Amino acid sequence: MVLLMGIGGSAEAKTLVVRPQGPLASVREAIRQADAGDTIRIEAGVYGGNLRLEKPLTLEGVGKPLILGEGSGSVITVLADGCTIRGMVIERSGRVLVEEDSGILVKSSRNRIEENEIRDVLYGIYLYAAHDNLIRGNRIRGLAELEFGERGNGIHIWNSSGNRIIANTISHMRDGLYLQNASRSVIRENHAFHLRYGLHYMFSDDNVIEENRFFDNMVGAAIMYSRRIRLRRNIFFRNRGFSSYGLLFQDCDDCVIEGNLIADNAVGIFMEALRRSVFRRNLITTNDVAVYLFSSASENVFTENSFVRNVSLLRVIGRGTTTRWSWQGVGNYWDAYEGFDADGDGIGDVPFRLQDLFERLEGNHPRLRVYLSSAAAEALAFAEKAFPIIPGPQEWDPAPLRKPRALWPSDALEIERIPFSRWAFLAPMAMVGLSVGLFLWVGRR
Amino acid sequence: MGTIATLALFEMKVHIRNRWVLVFAFVFGFTAVAIAAFGLATAGVAGFQGFARTTASLLNLALYVIPLVSLMMGTMSFAGEKNAGELLFVQPIARESLVWGKLLGLMLSIAIATGSGFGLAGMIIAARVGSAGVTRYLLFVGHALLLALAFLALGILVAIASARKPRAFGYALFLWFFFVLFYDLLVIGLTFLVPEPIANRLVFLSLFGNPVDLVRVSGFMTLDNPTIFGAAGVMLVKFFGGEGWAHVALIVGTILWGILPAWLAQGLLRRQDI
Repeated sequence: MVLLMGIGGSAEAKTLVVRPQGPLASVREAIRQADAGDTIRIEAGVYGGNLRLEKPLTLEGVGKPLILGEGSGSVITVLADGCTIRGMVIERSGRVLVEEDSGILVKSSRNRIEENEIRDVLYGIYLYAAHDNLIRGNRIRGLAELEFGERGNGIHIWNSSGNRIIANTISHMRDGLYLQNASRSVIRENHAFHLRYGLHYMFSDDNVIEENRFFDNMVGAAIMYSRRIRLRRNIFFRNRGFSSYGLLFQDCDDCVIEGNLIADNAVGIFMEALRRSVFRRNLITTNDVAVYLFSSASENVFTENSFVRNVSLLRVIGRGTTTRWSWQGVGNYWDAYEGFDADGDGIGDVPFRLQDLFERLEGNHPRLRVYLSSAAAEALAFAEKAFPIIPGPQEWDPAPLRKPRALWPSDALEIERIPFSRWAFLAPMAMVGLSVGLFLWVGRR
Repeated sequence: MGTIATLALFEMKVHIRNRWVLVFAFVFGFTAVAIAAFGLATAGVAGFQGFARTTASLLNLALYVIPLVSLMMGTMSFAGEKNAGELLFVQPIARESLVWGKLLGLMLSIAIATGSGFGLAGMIIAARVGSAGVTRYLLFVGHALLLALAFLALGILVAIASARKPRAFGYALFLWFFFVLFYDLLVIGLTFLVPEPIANRLVFLSLFGNPVDLVRVSGFMTLDNPTIFGAAGVMLVKFFGGEGWAHVALIVGTILWGILPAWLAQGLLRRQDI
């Protein structure tokens, strides 16, 4: 029994309604009955997977119906072009990494995958040689109980081009978004957290990455072996650990990194063999080390960025670099800059030096970091200032800005505010009370 | 035990009466409160990082000031007061009790002086960043007190070991410079002369030769995370066999720096002809 309803004036396309109490109670059966271009409306309930879409269909969930996979293979496999999967809850894929066991495995083009909740799966959405798809507004949560290496990626894009990945929320997978040979992709407004890498990138050129948030990962975004990547207005926040980076580049060329907020990471920006790239108007704040720079990174430019409240600004590994810290007479804003601007053009008249002697030594001798903020480190820095005879590569900003020009206000980090706690207040108060009390008591005796 | 308590109380009374404690409490409290207030006002960072950054400045204050004051007070308690000292020596008191009692009294005096400063600063921090790191803060104050213990013991040792008492203050001042500055510079220089793998081990072992280093490293690890030391942090944690063990080793090291000089001092004092 099939409910027939013409929609949108299209004479042939019909809508099939699936609901647990029937008459049509199986999504698989509905797919079998449907013709190309039909819509299957799935009402709230639990339905068996796995599903295969071999003709262009629309699966439209109403009230979050659950598609429960068989626990092996992918829960939904899309093989026909032009399918839509919307508003479903998708659970229980297989757990074999090499079989691409996913919530939704897409092997075709021009599909829309929207507003789904995908849980308890190895991979979330896997685009396998699939082009020009729209993946929007999905929530993907992985198998937190597995080690990072055993999990799949949230949205895995392989050998696919022209996909748009927008406003998805991804957590507890291996990598949030993994792109390999995925050119001309747009990645916008996604949130990726509690992952190994928020964004992991290989051999994918000409991509746009905008307004995403990568936080609480081992690495916010790792961009490797790619060219002409544009990163704008993203947030790389609180990626902390011994080898954690907010934004990592490895062997990339001609990238533009503009208007991002890179905050509270162990290392803000890590660059190895990044070439001819521009960092502009980013706010780089409260990182342990703002920029980690290998000698192999060449001809990059930093201009109009704000560097605020980082514990250390720069580590250079190897001999000097060809990175320029200003462009056409416009440098960056450094909160540690102490120079002056006599002619009032907004550019400091004294160059800003990014590292002192101790910090330069630290680049190639990381053990010296143990002496962080010790008097000895200060003394070395002071000695160099007083007797500037010690040679070595230097990093300068010849035109430091007097006012920040980053896209973000310098206090943009007021994201989290921990509520006031009475206990937090009582402990130090007791400290004062005890001290004063003891003082008076002994003094009186 | 009773004798030590009595002596400790007597020692505290001396330092409270002669206003040492009061002056130090004011200076220290004022600085600590200023750091907490202005550090947070200009930082504008809420949450745990705000806490970590502000308390790191407090740690720095403690690392410079507490060794100096402790050394001076430790030295003064055996080299300063002429008549009070002689009065004590003629009492039927075991000389080792004298050292331990005075050490305890001095320690409590410094705890009083710094307690109000740390407490007020802690209240300001708590008001701004909430409950992020209350335990860490308390542990940090504990670190500061251990540092005081180590340098009080060193001060006492210097005072007892010096033949001429006024000279003891000179030695004490030298010790301060040595531990706060020269020691690290020496080790840093030395690490450039030896091969790389040895250099790393040398750095970590050298921490135990200097209570200031022990407290600085352990303090940073408490207030922030070992990750603040980057690659060196990984090596450090690995060297000690885990983050917990690193803490234990550094803290035990600091406590030993408090006990050993005091033990040497009482040994010297027992054999001394006064």
